[in-house]
Amino acid sequence: MATGCPFALDIFAEPEDHAKDPGAQFDFPLMPEGQAYDMGHAPDGTPLFDPRILQSAEFFRNPYPYYRILRDHYPVYHDRLHNTYYVTRYEDITRCYFDDEGFNTIPKGSSSGVLGNTQLELSGVEHRRRRNLYGQHLVGQSLKNRIPAIQRQAREMIEAWDGISDPRVVSMADGVRTVELGMAFANEFPIRVVCEVLGFPKEAQNDFYYWYNSMMSGLGGSETHQQGLEARQHLEDYVEGIVEARRKQPTYLHDEVGNPISKDIISKLCETKVDGDYLSTEEITSNIALVVGGGGETTRGAILNMWHLLLRNPEQFEALRNDDSLWDAAFHETLRHSSSIGGQPRHNTYDVVMHGVRVPAGSLMEMVDFSANHDERVFKDPETFNIFRDDLYTGKILRSGYNKDGRRNHMAFGVGPHLCPGAWISHQEAVEGSRILLKYLKNPRINMERMPKDTDGMSLKPLGIVSVRELHLDYDLA
Amino acid sequence: MTESALPVIGANGVAIPEGTRGDAGFRTYEVFQRERVGQSTPKIKPAQLVSREFADNPYPLLAVLRENYPCYRDWLNNCFWITRYDDVTSILTDGANYETRSKAWRLGIEGFGRDLRTALPVLTAQANAWDASCRRLAESAIADFARRGEADLATEFAARLNMQLWLAMLDPPAESAPQVAALLWRLHRGVSWDPHARWLGAAAADELVAELAPLLEARRQAPGGDLISAVAGLELEGGPAQPQDLVATLLEMDFDTLHGALANLWLALLTNAEEFDKVRGDSRCVKLAVLEAFRHSTPMIAAQRFARHEVERFGRLIPKGGLLVCSVAAANRDPRVFANPDRFIAGRKDICHREARGQYRADGLATGITPGLGPPTKHPAVPEDRPRSLYALTRDAVITASGALLEAVDDMVLADEAKPPSAICRRLGEMHACWHLPVRFRPR
Ligand code: HEM
Repeated sequence: MATGCPFALDIFAEPEDHAKDPGAQFDFPLMPEGQAYDMGHAPDGTPLFDPRILQSAEFFRNPYPYYRILRDHYPVYHDRLHNTYYVTRYEDITRCYFDDEGFNTIPKGSSSGVLGNTQLELSGVEHRRRRNLYGQHLVGQSLKNRIPAIQRQAREMIEAWDGISDPRVVSMADGVRTVELGMAFANEFPIRVVCEVLGFPKEAQNDFYYWYNSMMSGLGGSETHQQGLEARQHLEDYVEGIVEARRKQPTYLHDEVGNPISKDIISKLCETKVDGDYLSTEEITSNIALVVGGGGETTRGAILNMWHLLLRNPEQFEALRNDDSLWDAAFHETLRHSSSIGGQPRHNTYDVVMHGVRVPAGSLMEMVDFSANHDERVFKDPETFNIFRDDLYTGKILRSGYNKDGRRNHMAFGVGPHLCPGAWISHQEAVEGSRILLKYLKNPRINMERMPKDTDGMSLKPLGIVSVRELHLDYDLA
Repeated sequence: MTESALPVIGANGVAIPEGTRGDAGFRTYEVFQRERVGQSTPKIKPAQLVSREFADNPYPLLAVLRENYPCYRDWLNNCFWITRYDDVTSILTDGANYETRSKAWRLGIEGFGRDLRTALPVLTAQANAWDASCRRLAESAIADFARRGEADLATEFAARLNMQLWLAMLDPPAESAPQVAALLWRLHRGVSWDPHARWLGAAAADELVAELAPLLEARRQAPGGDLISAVAGLELEGGPAQPQDLVATLLEMDFDTLHGALANLWLALLTNAEEFDKVRGDSRCVKLAVLEAFRHSTPMIAAQRFARHEVERFGRLIPKGGLLVCSVAAANRDPRVFANPDRFIAGRKDICHREARGQYRADGLATGITPGLGPPTKHPAVPEDRPRSLYALTRDAVITASGALLEAVDDMVLADEAKPPSAICRRLGEMHACWHLPVRFRPR
């Protein structure tokens, strides 16, 4: 370069991609699924990792090869652009989850803007006390008693398809019916179940669905944050009325033949004391918002991903048709292969050193559950969806995790003190709902024409890290 | 803290210092919920703050933050943006509450060597070298392009002068000077989020060690007046300075402000005819233009500080370890402090004309914040035995060089009026500077 400066050397040789975009939104080329874009190599051969990839379209559709680079070369990756440390190996994440004193849950403040103060952000004793208040209603006998209600919800929704005239949801041609399983079923089903379990009147279900949608899209300081806050206010106004009523007159859940099972959750919460004080309406609302928020999107994604993966693996689907008990394995393998939640943020309370990286106290550490679930140190051939795999634990999810006979728990529900208390109910929803769906859907297959396509315009869009948003199915009418 | 000092717990290499576990209990986010159900910040999206738009011209977006969300919680980039002048200066001068992390930490070579930047002989060596050679080096750079009647002031003048002042300070043998210059450049560019730059930077640190080790040894035996000799002669607690210490010191020193400020000053002059006239007509005005350039188009547009403990400020609770991005660019254009802040006015009335003290002020007037040059001293006067501050040194170098250029040429204009150059960040987080400034002129 004719700068006349004898010392210019490489000074003005601009890094090429930066000349194109000096900001963080560099347009990474879209790669074939499973292959990573070459972000360059250090002279010793170590692949480099460009943190801008984490916000790119490429990453959202094709994350796993990038997580592999992190696991293999940067198990604790310091992303200096987003001031975050990513922890990507199964064992490390497990350890951090169990130590909720060293790695606490403070950073979830981003969601509490909309949800309110919830147990998500609590730690230690405070957390345990509150969590038990809700947790007990989502497991064990009280849930078992609710299974018929879950099944009834599913049947009611499917039978309503006959009356749907919107062709984007349900349509018919030559004895073949096409449904978009999201709009026709999976988006709403989990919210209805949660409403039911919480003991809200049926009339409120549509409102809940709206509040839920608005709150979800308002998380994380997004553009629709304001709308999320408003929806949250409506939810609160509604819950307040219910709470006041239940404080005076508790109500009961009933089994299928009308016998009272127990007081519903809200009635119980109304008479619960923490630190000698009754729970405030605000506290009850926040945690209802959390259950509504935490139980919807996640379970929706699990149901759609499961059907998507099964129908793309017809021999596994066939096996499942012949053996009803395989649904449990299918559910867990779905969550291992393509969970609906990517990971959980933590703050380290102390300086920690992991894999030679010093993480100063108070840093944001992102525990990447997606990556843990694809850690080849734990799961063989992790990119393959295989409901018969012999290294995945497919029983009832345990807070203590599972590590016996060569089988490990997947990380989609987390593990340890914050393990998702909705794990069992979402399992029931997905499995019971799918069993019933299968009864109605004769010879189901993916309608390739209507499905969103990948970059080649032909193959299906990969699941990536956002779950399938729409799943168009054809089936024969009996 | 090194890894070996920590007990390793578990088979997965995780270590937590046992001693520190006792002092912290559980903390909940409830205390952070000042806004009961969250604050809406619809006027800006965090992605905009790491966009090309921002890298090219951060000022409009920063004004949105400053005027609406003076302590903006950015969830995407996990930081708080501080944008008002008094807020920024209050953080930059508060080492008790906010930690400055070293460039070595940011480059990922923490513990590489000792930072000896503030040792008196080191400061003196830099001041002497710059004072002795600035005028001469500026004149020789000008001589190299003057007869052409055209030049790129950003590269041939600003970047070159900065690099040559550094070389004058280190005084390497002529044959290795280009290599040392290139390594220094890569070393400082490595303080970045960019993996390529970081790798090159870390490698440059090692190469510099190899390149400078023999010099350090030689000058221990036969010292000169240069910075390497000064480092070699230091009496240090842990034994004499090693080549790694020398390189660690060079890394922590400010590398950008002189280069960027000189380029940005000339960009401002060439795009503000009235102000340029003022400066050409009165050589004392050069100094005022330089002070204004430090304010109006400071090259280091932000400084990072981390909360040492949970601290309540700006109506918020900043958690321990929280990152505060002190936006110097926003602060320097805060209308609460400077009238017409977006205008470049040499000799404006509301900026102080002498070196600021304490809270970035002198005579009750604010100064342009230049974070690379360190906070202003709290002492009322510079002690006799100390060289001038880095701020004064840098300011004077820009003044001297600009004065020399004004004397050497006439009728300087932008080479292409139709395509006026601008200041940009070539890479997000790097200095905001004019990287190409083609001009035409008449040599005297
Ligand atoms: C497939 C569906 C689901 C997935 C993948 C999922 C996943 C998770 C994950 C990863 C966590 C965070 C754990 C942590 O911070 O370490 C969590 C927490 C939580 N989930 Fe779920 N969840 C699902 C369904 C549900 C359902 C149906 C409900 C409620 C009915 C629910 C309620 C909650 C609550 C209340 C928490 C907070 C627990 C705490 O912090 O103690 N989730 N979930």
